[in-house]
Amino acid sequence: MIPSAMVSSTETALESLHHIKSTEPPEWLVPKQELSQAVRAASKLLFSSLKPYCPKSPFDQLLTEGFDVEQIWQQIDLQSQPLLSSLRREVKKFEKHPEEISKLKDGGVGGGEKKKKVLEQIETDNVVNDDEDDDDMDMDEDDDDEEEEDEEGEEEEKERGTEEESENEGEEKGGIEDKFLKIKELQEYLEEDEAREFGLKKKKTKAESKKEEEDTEEEGDDDDEDENEGSEDDDDEAEEEEDELGLFDGNDEEDEDDLENARYEDFFSRKKNKSSKEKAKSRDMLEEDSGSDDEQDVDKRKDGPSKHEKELDKLRSKIEEMEKANLDPKVWTMRGEVTAAQRQKNSALEVDLDFEHNVRPAPVITEEVTASLEDLIKTRISEGLFDDVQKARTSSSKAPREIKELDESKSKKGLAEVYEEEFVQKTDPASALLTFSDELKKEASMLFKKLCLKLDALSHFHFTPKPVVEDMSIQTNVPALAMEEIAPMAVSDAAMLAPEEVFSGKGDIKEEAELTKAERKRRRANKKRKFKAEAAKRMGKKA
Amino acid sequence: MEIETVPSESKPESNPLPPKPKFEPLKAHEMSDGRVQFRKVSVPPHRYSPLKKYWMDIYTPVYEQMKIDIRMNLKARKVELKTRQDTPDISNLQKCADFVQAFMLGFDVPDAIALLRLDELYVESFEIKDVKTLRGEHLSRAIGRLSGKGGKTKFAIENSTKTRIVIADTKIHILGSFANIKIARDSLCSLILGSPAGKVYSKLRQVSARLAERF
Repeated sequence: MIPSAMVSSTETALESLHHIKSTEPPEWLVPKQELSQAVRAASKLLFSSLKPYCPKSPFDQLLTEGFDVEQIWQQIDLQSQPLLSSLRREVKKFEKHPEEISKLKDGGVGGGEKKKKVLEQIETDNVVNDDEDDDDMDMDEDDDDEEEEDEEGEEEEKERGTEEESENEGEEKGGIEDKFLKIKELQEYLEEDEAREFGLKKKKTKAESKKEEEDTEEEGDDDDEDENEGSEDDDDEAEEEEDELGLFDGNDEEDEDDLENARYEDFFSRKKNKSSKEKAKSRDMLEEDSGSDDEQDVDKRKDGPSKHEKELDKLRSKIEEMEKANLDPKVWTMRGEVTAAQRQKNSALEVDLDFEHNVRPAPVITEEVTASLEDLIKTRISEGLFDDVQKARTSSSKAPREIKELDESKSKKGLAEVYEEEFVQKTDPASALLTFSDELKKEASMLFKKLCLKLDALSHFHFTPKPVVEDMSIQTNVPALAMEEIAPMAVSDAAMLAPEEVFSGKGDIKEEAELTKAERKRRRANKKRKFKAEAAKRMGKKA
Repeated sequence: MEIETVPSESKPESNPLPPKPKFEPLKAHEMSDGRVQFRKVSVPPHRYSPLKKYWMDIYTPVYEQMKIDIRMNLKARKVELKTRQDTPDISNLQKCADFVQAFMLGFDVPDAIALLRLDELYVESFEIKDVKTLRGEHLSRAIGRLSGKGGKTKFAIENSTKTRIVIADTKIHILGSFANIKIARDSLCSLILGSPAGKVYSKLRQVSARLAERF
């Protein structure tokens, strides 16, 4: 391209930039051809202006005609990525060697003047300046409002960031600024957090204090509130941070590294072994847009926990308690069926147990009770109304069954006769002979007759007894019971016959053992005499 | 035995079938080809004197009613029985032999006479050792259990089952009808095996009641 043409193009681009700046935010909601053209031209200009600082970019200029939004973005990306990394390196270098910043500052006095202008601009909100820096600062604000063409906004911000860096390297270390990440803010917050935790207060150097002032002031870009308060408290903060920086110098680099390798888990997970810094970081990230609260809280914590803080603490502790209670195993009283082995010794004594009693409680014996009882007893005795147990008479509905008695004596009939009787019974039931029970009945009737006879004799005045029927029967010397009872259970020695009936003898009967010698001799002599007499008789007969 | 020979059946066309021969029943005497039949029953020594005592009671029914000759061979110590010519039935001899044998076993004459009068009576003998091997005191006690005090258990069984029982040392003889013998035998066996008398009595009562009910 012809340089003149380039110059004219830059002018047109600038014009387009102005145009973009001047458009009202609502107009961006509707896609307009002229607006897009203007933006494309502006981005082309910016691209080419950044070109000298970027060694590796493959494009000489941004190609916008006939290209898709995505493609344009890709081109910008290609240029800006290596640029960003180089910028980071620069920032690190400045961190390590702060003295270089002053060198740069000295070198770039013009830059310092520019910086002052920037400061002025910050104090007066949204003032439009022809200065590129101002434009860029304003553009920042405008870009925040942009909703449609985000990629260009971001890219512009980045480019602006890079431009600022290139011009005010000493001032702006946190060049990697986007909506989510502001390193200066992050650092400060971390230090504040640590100061709060550890309560250290240290001095700090002027340079660092200046830097921190600038940082805080820069943070005020987004939050005007911060800036108003920040100037007063910055010194205090700075002092605190000074101490921490002295202690945790080495960690700053780690912070940077951690920031570089930041992951999702660091920000949005609730790991307990996170370091306090990471927690602070996450909190910082979450509260990025409303970062004022942190500042406020930090300020107020120094005085003492606020009401809100106290309430929050209380809530938190309550929540923890309840969670703990839910997780722990239940108390034995809430566990349902519990045996003695499952609860502590004597723990049932402490609890007020309530259960149904199946038994009436024992009556309390008092004097009145005993007196009433005694009265009752007396009345009952006098009346004769005793609660005796009456025997329940079982009414027999049917006659008692005839129990056949077993005859345990020798049967008088022969077997043949038994069978004969049986046969006769079978064939001719009329001629049924007396059974055992009938005999018993006969005997009973006999006894009763005798009894009646005796009673009649006693009761009648003129009693004439019946004629006695002589019945000859042989009395055998058998035990009496045997004759009277058919089935003798016990054996009795009593005999039917009297002793004199058994033996009729004369003289003095002596036992064998009782005989004297003389008597024995006499007995033998008598025997011999008899024998001799008989023998003589027989001899006489024969002869 | 005379058998009238039937004339040959070789003339069917002229003569009708000859009449069937009619035979009279054989007499006991004529059985076994007209020879006399004997039975000999040996007499054990302990039955010798009872035999002498009851000889007439034995002799009379055998000779008069059964018409069997009976004599005692003193030398051989046997009772011999012989059929006569007018013995009506051959089974008489056997019956008489059984009767005498029963007496020899130990049964009384009126009980043994039942054998002569009734057909279905039998004598069953068994030993205690057939039921259970018992030795010494146990054997004595078993015998005592069988008879009971004064023989009452034995009589109880006899009366309830209509049998006659003879307990001769270790041998037991039962005289009666088949079913009754079975009942008596069961009772005796349970007694040998050791059940108390009361238990046997209760069973006997049930059995006798059942037997009585049957008729």
